[in-house]
Amino acid sequence: MSTAELTLPSKKYRQKMTVFSIVVVAVALACIYTNFNPLGIFMEFHYVRDLVGEMTPPNYHVLSDNSSTAMAILQTLSLAFLGTLYGGVIAVVVAFLAASNTMPFRAIRLTARFVLSFLRVIPILVVILIFVIAVGPSTFAGMLTLVIVTVGNFGKLFTEMIENVDNPPAEAIFSVGASRMQVIRYSIIPQILPTLIANLLFAFDVNIRAAIGLGIFGGGGIGFQLQLAKSVLHYKDVTAIVSLIIIMVIVVEKISDYLRRKILGEGKLR
Amino acid sequence: MLEVKNLTKTLPNGRRLLDGISFKVKKGEFVGILGSSGAGKTLTLRCLNGLLKPDSGSVIIRDEHDRPLDICKINKRELRRVRQKIGVIFQGYHLVKRLSALENVMIGKLGQINTFRSLFYGFTDTEAEQALKALDKVKMSELAGSMTGNLSGGEMQRVAIARAIFQSPTLLLADEPISNLDPSNAKTIMKMIKPLSEHMPVIGVFHQPEMTAKYCSRVIAIKEGKIIYDGDPKLSNKRLEEIYGEELELIEQQEHLLAAIAK
Amino acid sequence: MQARMYSFKRYRKFILPLIILLAVTEGAAIICGATFGKLFEGLYRGIAFFGNMYPPDWSAFSEMLEPALQSIVIAFLGTVFGALMSIVFALLAASNLSHPWVRAITRFLIGLERSIPEIVILILLVAAFGLGAMPGVVALSLGCIGMLGKLLADIIEEIDPLMIESIESVGGNKLQVIVFGVLPQIIPNIISYTLFRFEINIRLSVLLGAVGAGGVGYELDYSFGMLQYHRAFTAMIIIIAMVFATEQLSYYLRKKLKMEGALK
Repeated sequence: MSTAELTLPSKKYRQKMTVFSIVVVAVALACIYTNFNPLGIFMEFHYVRDLVGEMTPPNYHVLSDNSSTAMAILQTLSLAFLGTLYGGVIAVVVAFLAASNTMPFRAIRLTARFVLSFLRVIPILVVILIFVIAVGPSTFAGMLTLVIVTVGNFGKLFTEMIENVDNPPAEAIFSVGASRMQVIRYSIIPQILPTLIANLLFAFDVNIRAAIGLGIFGGGGIGFQLQLAKSVLHYKDVTAIVSLIIIMVIVVEKISDYLRRKILGEGKLR
Repeated sequence: MLEVKNLTKTLPNGRRLLDGISFKVKKGEFVGILGSSGAGKTLTLRCLNGLLKPDSGSVIIRDEHDRPLDICKINKRELRRVRQKIGVIFQGYHLVKRLSALENVMIGKLGQINTFRSLFYGFTDTEAEQALKALDKVKMSELAGSMTGNLSGGEMQRVAIARAIFQSPTLLLADEPISNLDPSNAKTIMKMIKPLSEHMPVIGVFHQPEMTAKYCSRVIAIKEGKIIYDGDPKLSNKRLEEIYGEELELIEQQEHLLAAIAK
Repeated sequence: MQARMYSFKRYRKFILPLIILLAVTEGAAIICGATFGKLFEGLYRGIAFFGNMYPPDWSAFSEMLEPALQSIVIAFLGTVFGALMSIVFALLAASNLSHPWVRAITRFLIGLERSIPEIVILILLVAAFGLGAMPGVVALSLGCIGMLGKLLADIIEEIDPLMIESIESVGGNKLQVIVFGVLPQIIPNIISYTLFRFEINIRLSVLLGAVGAGGVGYELDYSFGMLQYHRAFTAMIIIIAMVFATEQLSYYLRKKLKMEGALK
């Protein structure tokens, strides 16, 4: 590097200002286009105040008066759990089909890879709307959605995990005359198992948040209760449900963090 | 002109880190502070620019109107003003790694430009020219545009010196500026620091008695928080033993080793 | 006999977790009404239905371009405002810059935000402000804080304290410490995390659209509601193209940034 690359402060200042103004203009145009007034939040803050007024105090009788709220929480938890479990199992199977060190046939490998990349870009909204029509609005539809989403989000990761497995143990096992299945069982699975379980716990963490959103589109569970309470303007119930959601998410996160730490060993989180 | 009076610092457990440190330094002096590890040299230096507050004592320097100011007593705002006129060179380079060498030098004047201007990196071209001159004095102008994190230790230390020069300070402090450098780089740095003492008092903490003997005009030795020697930089072996105790042998070994590597 | 004992012992520690897992699965399956067999039937029906949606209704393509743009713009605004707010939160939540009390409160808020799904925020905002782009943008911006705020705060805490001291030692004030000592060090991270968050926000913006933020997500939901499945297929293609294109763009930019910004 030499003095030639030196930018004088005035020039640097102009460069920075240019970038800054481009961003400002872009944001301003975007605001005008969408009719979004950033100051509107403050100018129309009385709406928020009104809402907060209507929302407090939270009506925790939703839990005791009506068994459906408690049931809805259970539903959300179980649909997230099943979605993660079934989705995880399918993702692992597809990952083995897509990994170059476990699947010798190119055609199958490429098909599996294509399926995974397709599922990765397909938005959750599309999936839930399809299943709601295919099997009717229910917890089952929500669960099926999470299965697909889990495969999409984690299939590629699992494939990479399998491909990154250390080769020497596999070679050692091959060299004593073992079959491909035996190599998978004794070399690959033991190596990927801890990371796999840790990732599934993380997936559960992600899925519980997604499951709440799914309820709104007919996936059942606490999201549906929230939407219901909001649409009949029972805002005190809404507050209660939102606080229950927060507690549920935090508890799940803590448990999943704890288990992951235990599995991966202290300090190696993520 | 700097006057240090009776600095003391005590840990909560009662251990005295600094115990009545007093000395005066005039313009034209290059003072080396020596002492074994943990003797309190770096602590003393950190008190001099207010990075550390002593329990008692005072550090008096003259501000631009020649008024005496006690660094240990002034508030944060005044402290920032005083620091603008104190150049500091640290052992760990203290440079922002993702800014260019030139920008790191210009940071020296940061306290002197207004906050609003600095928000937009608003240095002027004149300031850049001056900064480039300062870099030229330490023979770094060719690397002015490169990212500081990519420079070597010796080069970073030269940028730090350029920053101190650019500040046009009334006092220069150096905290083990050559401890992380190889002998030839260390000599270069010492040669660059020495002439600065013509314009301002220079105080440095060092770990190499043979370097201070060669370049400093005066040496202060600290042991267990007390000044045990203040005077001629050429120290007798007996004196060195007194200063360093058992550590002396280690230092000699280290120096032999470094000298051998340098050859 | 001994060999059997050995293998039994080896597997014994897995038995209890396995029983728990099976019991929980069974319980969950009863609650959801989904056994393993039914799972494949459901998946099959979904895929079969997906096949029926073909071919797409290309006549609706042109009228969906504008909603698509709207979704992108909402995601863009949400990301920009969200990133700005996240930087402020991150600075307040970093232990080396902020007062311990301020840090504790900010960290708590960040953690709280992280546990509220964006869609819940949106529902509350729609209740307050009505339908439109505004609740969407605000929900996405707030959604950034939980993720970006935490990541950036952690990065700031890892900054070498020497760099902060270097600004302090020449008399810089707190703002100058942030602008010169902190921002240059974290800007590559800010940009790369923000790009990553933009990918997430594009997906979320589609999802939120269906709940009331407008855009192509609303078009999709509406087409399904009107049973116009071929039209829905068109919306789906646009959405997938959008998601795919942002992902590639962000991946490319992040890679470029990593190569340019790398220190030796």
